[in-house]
Amino acid sequence: MASKSEEELRKLSVEIRFLEQTAETIQSRINAVNAVITDLTYANMTLEGLEKEKENTELLVPIGGNSYIKARLENPDKVIVGMGAGISLEKTLQEAKEIIKKRLENLERTRASLQQQLAQVAERIEEDREKFESLIAELRERKAA
Amino acid sequence: MGDEISKLPPQVQERLLRLQQLQQTLQSVLVQKQQVEIELTEIEQALSELEKMSDDAVIYKAIGSLLVKSEKAKTVADLNERKELFNMRATVLGKQEERLRSQIKDLQTKLQQDLSPVSPFQP
Repeated sequence: MASKSEEELRKLSVEIRFLEQTAETIQSRINAVNAVITDLTYANMTLEGLEKEKENTELLVPIGGNSYIKARLENPDKVIVGMGAGISLEKTLQEAKEIIKKRLENLERTRASLQQQLAQVAERIEEDREKFESLIAELRERKAA
Repeated sequence: MGDEISKLPPQVQERLLRLQQLQQTLQSVLVQKQQVEIELTEIEQALSELEKMSDDAVIYKAIGSLLVKSEKAKTVADLNERKELFNMRATVLGKQEERLRSQIKDLQTKLQQDLSPVSPFQP
């Protein structure tokens, strides 16, 4: 009888470890999605700001390392949007905003579904831990008796 | 755990090691396959986006960190070529995956037979 409980304990600990790994994977995917959402939000803010600017406005373009070069806005209504696979297309500002909005909506949905998955895994881990604790207590009592 | 393994017969130990190696190889094949599949999805998306554009649409192609102006026809041809290449790679990787899975299955069956007489938890 005791060995059965011990076997159960072993199974539970393996399952908990597996679930913890799953939770970590989901969390890192959520972080990746968050990073892209931040990036797209910035792009959207930039486009919204640019919309109000006229041709030939002086700009500072970031080149990294908190450094900038001076440039002039040649055409505020032409935006180049990456489509993946190394291809970028020229779009109007409105089109670009639409594309970014759609991407953001998709990512929000992905994030919500990942968060739901994470909550389910966390719940399962909690259940398993409780079972684990009560089994240990049971085994101790039996050994003491 | 290491102690338990070293108590096993050398032949079984060898099989266990081989199983681990096969599983690692399978893992790396799966990662490569996933990357190729992501690449293929991106190419498909870019192609379907290009389809909607007029022939004189302004298109840029990434060369390193630069974006260089390109033409629709040339870009579509390039993408189709890459698609073919990646499709080929995906097929090769799929075959590798299949072979590895069957090798792993065989080895697992053998190991189960090896280990069943000593296992204290027989079904």
